[in-house]
Amino acid sequence: MVIKVIQIIISPVLALIVGVLFLGLARKIMARFHWRYGPPLIQPVIDMIRLFYQKSVSHGSMFDLGIILSLAGSIVVVLFLPFGKICPLSSSGGLLVILYIMLIAPLSLALSGGQGANPNISIGISRKLILSLGYEVPLLLVLLSVMTHYKTISIVAVVNAQQSTDWALISFPLFLSGISYFLILPAILGIRPFDVSSAPQEISSGLMVEYGGKYLALATIEHAFVLFINVALFVNLFLGGAANPITFFVKMLVVFVLGLFVNAVFPRFRIEQAIKYLWKWPTLLAFLGLIMTLIVRR
Amino acid sequence: MSLEILLIIAFGGALLTYLLGKLSSRVRDSFAVVVSLAMAAFVAYLYGKPMEKTFYLGFLGLDLVLRLNMLSWFFAITIAVIGALSVIFSLSYIRGKEKTDFYFFMMLLVNAAMLGIVLAGDLVCFYIFWEIMSWSAFLLISYNKGPALAAGMKYIIMSVIGSMCFLFAILSLYVSFDTLHISRIAPEIASASSGYVLFILILLCIAFGIKNAILPFHTWLPDAHSEAPAPFSAVLSGILIKMGTYGFLLLLYVIVGLKLFLGLGRGLLSFHSVLCFLGVLTIIIPTFIAMLQDDAKRLLAWSTVGQAGYIILGISFGTSLALAGGIFHFFNHALFKALLFFAIGAVEFRTRTRDLNSLGGLAEKMPILFMTTFVGIFALIGVPLTCGFVSKWLIYKTLILEGSPFLAFFALVGTWGTILYSYKLIHNVFLGQLPERYKDIQKSPFSMQFPVIILSLIIVLFGILPGIPLKVINAIGISFGFESLNISLWGITSETGTLNTINILSGLLVAGVIVWLLFRLGARSLSVPQEDSYAAGTHIPKDKYHYTTEFYNPLVIMIKPYLRDVIDEVYYGVAASLRRVSDRVRRIYHGDIGYYVTYIILFLALLIFIQLKWKPW
Repeated sequence: MVIKVIQIIISPVLALIVGVLFLGLARKIMARFHWRYGPPLIQPVIDMIRLFYQKSVSHGSMFDLGIILSLAGSIVVVLFLPFGKICPLSSSGGLLVILYIMLIAPLSLALSGGQGANPNISIGISRKLILSLGYEVPLLLVLLSVMTHYKTISIVAVVNAQQSTDWALISFPLFLSGISYFLILPAILGIRPFDVSSAPQEISSGLMVEYGGKYLALATIEHAFVLFINVALFVNLFLGGAANPITFFVKMLVVFVLGLFVNAVFPRFRIEQAIKYLWKWPTLLAFLGLIMTLIVRR
Repeated sequence: MSLEILLIIAFGGALLTYLLGKLSSRVRDSFAVVVSLAMAAFVAYLYGKPMEKTFYLGFLGLDLVLRLNMLSWFFAITIAVIGALSVIFSLSYIRGKEKTDFYFFMMLLVNAAMLGIVLAGDLVCFYIFWEIMSWSAFLLISYNKGPALAAGMKYIIMSVIGSMCFLFAILSLYVSFDTLHISRIAPEIASASSGYVLFILILLCIAFGIKNAILPFHTWLPDAHSEAPAPFSAVLSGILIKMGTYGFLLLLYVIVGLKLFLGLGRGLLSFHSVLCFLGVLTIIIPTFIAMLQDDAKRLLAWSTVGQAGYIILGISFGTSLALAGGIFHFFNHALFKALLFFAIGAVEFRTRTRDLNSLGGLAEKMPILFMTTFVGIFALIGVPLTCGFVSKWLIYKTLILEGSPFLAFFALVGTWGTILYSYKLIHNVFLGQLPERYKDIQKSPFSMQFPVIILSLIIVLFGILPGIPLKVINAIGISFGFESLNISLWGITSETGTLNTINILSGLLVAGVIVWLLFRLGARSLSVPQEDSYAAGTHIPKDKYHYTTEFYNPLVIMIKPYLRDVIDEVYYGVAASLRRVSDRVRRIYHGDIGYYVTYIILFLALLIFIQLKWKPW
């Protein structure tokens, strides 16, 4: 019981540290690509502390409530994700529940932004929702192949099954799904070539444009959590999770840095191009993966 | 206290309401509310009291049977509650319009007829109440005149086709088994040939499918739902189409029985997989069509078609968990769709429009409607801690673990489509920029706020404690011959996956409080009208600059060519050619006496010719 409570407290804190570290790392690595020196690794932390002391602008109660709810939603998702052997709420519904709790954060953020009534925000939200429909099609196929292959809806059971055999990424019917998942990972993380919904130069960071001060700080923390959750989900489902948190974070780091390489070299898609891409190759691969999984299962 | 008294109160109350309306409208209003609340209380009182009563009315020598079991009680309580709330909502909605006595009469009559359907214990009773419901619904749909007349006509034509199929099936069953008592048909049909069972199934599936609006019988629904008065749209979407669901449950699990139903045909061509496939189609296509709609009620109407697909999918998949999910989703859908129709109706009541492109920013003017719509949208999407999540979780889980990931895939994609249109609905009505003309808009009256508040409370309550309705649903499953599910107050326990809503709730609450404290600790925020920050304080014209029109344009351009309602076009084509043929036939009646004399002479000549040639007489 005491261990459970400690896990519940420690897992969001760890997730926050890793997520913020990723944010700093992303800036550093991107800077090196541009032949710049880049800010220090803890720059996001410095920014956040500064932002908390700055005055901000509010546009109504949903504007406040949405941002609180979205961060809370993200923290709850972390409690359901196993990393290493830590998984505080493993027995409460499995992958389907995670998939659905993951909706709380973007929906609340979208509702909060909606009250901001800025044209850039609504363009950003519209693009974000379209893009998420775009990547959910292959993502759902991938998740369904994993659940069908291991005959479970529990993410802990998926991790355990991989630890006793191979990683899903290199096991026979699932490698197609794994490749497809990696192809859509930039879209899920919202990095280039899929940064249509934030697009700083085009729609002034979209959803973020009305946020300042503590709102921006909370939104940044939320973004850090989202990075953590999505990379951790990939590691859990396809790289076999890990026996201890250190290995887990190393695996996450590798996946994230690979993602950054993609981010560094590609220009931005238009939203229609993004959908066309997402519904073509990744979907096809994921579809094949699911059919193969079904055949193997029979 | 028994069933016939309930029905007498229901029907007599409807008639009395009409008569009282001739005296005074205030008396009529309060009487209508009292009657509908009394029915809800009465049905609630009947919980767990199964009974059956036979009446000999000498009608064609058939018994008329009323009976109550868990299945009919669950439907009856939903009907009574939604019906009562819709009557309360109607009070201020309908005030000042014409023919209000008639309106209340019909509202109560529809509710009474639906109660009659779920209480009927034989198919004659069922059919009589079914027809009363269909026709009074027709009168209510076309209440608003104008386009509503065409919508009502479309509805009643399809409804009559369904009724004819139903009647045909009843006659055939009577000829074969000499009884129409539901519980007596069941053992007889088990020994019938599978061809005959299939024949009955298809006829009744058409009848119930038209009411339940599954593809390809959905075309009446979008018109009817969007043109009907708002309180009746809620009844229509929440419970009236669910009479089709009730029919399906009765047909598949009581009359035909689970074993026979799952055993018809084999592989992908078996009856149950075809029905599952139709369910999935009903989810996916209407969901995408809903994204294209700009009329709030039309959007909700298409969403109703899509959500009905989940119910059909759950029911026709035929495992205990899927069935529980299907029945639970029927209940949830009744709650949240009634809520959303009420909320949009209340907005329309004040703004006189339901065009999503011209509304906006009403959250600050109508905060209660906004918060309840927020709950309704979350339940529609199926976010955890609303009841919509539990039913969808049950359906998905079964589909995945029983090895039908493709069905699960389409159902899940349907959910992500739901997010898109739900967000469009709440964003374009309540968020964003408030148009100049709604600056002084009033709050909606209390009689409109009351139903939505009640419904949103129920949604959250059953989302956190899904065990309450699941207990009833479990009893229904057991009566169909399934094993009992392991239900606790906050979810379901099983070896293959456990659901625990208390964990989610406490996690969200604690995290929420921590984040809220963090939020409070930060520097103070300044409340600023949005024009100020957008234009940095400089003057901007008072136009609409917020982007809500054609909200999903990039996606719509891509998918619109694939989303024509082909089925509707086919039906219209058939109707047009029928009209042409009838037009030709009409020309026989020329009006000139000479022609008629010619017809008579020709006919006589034909008769004489036949007699001379073959001598049949």
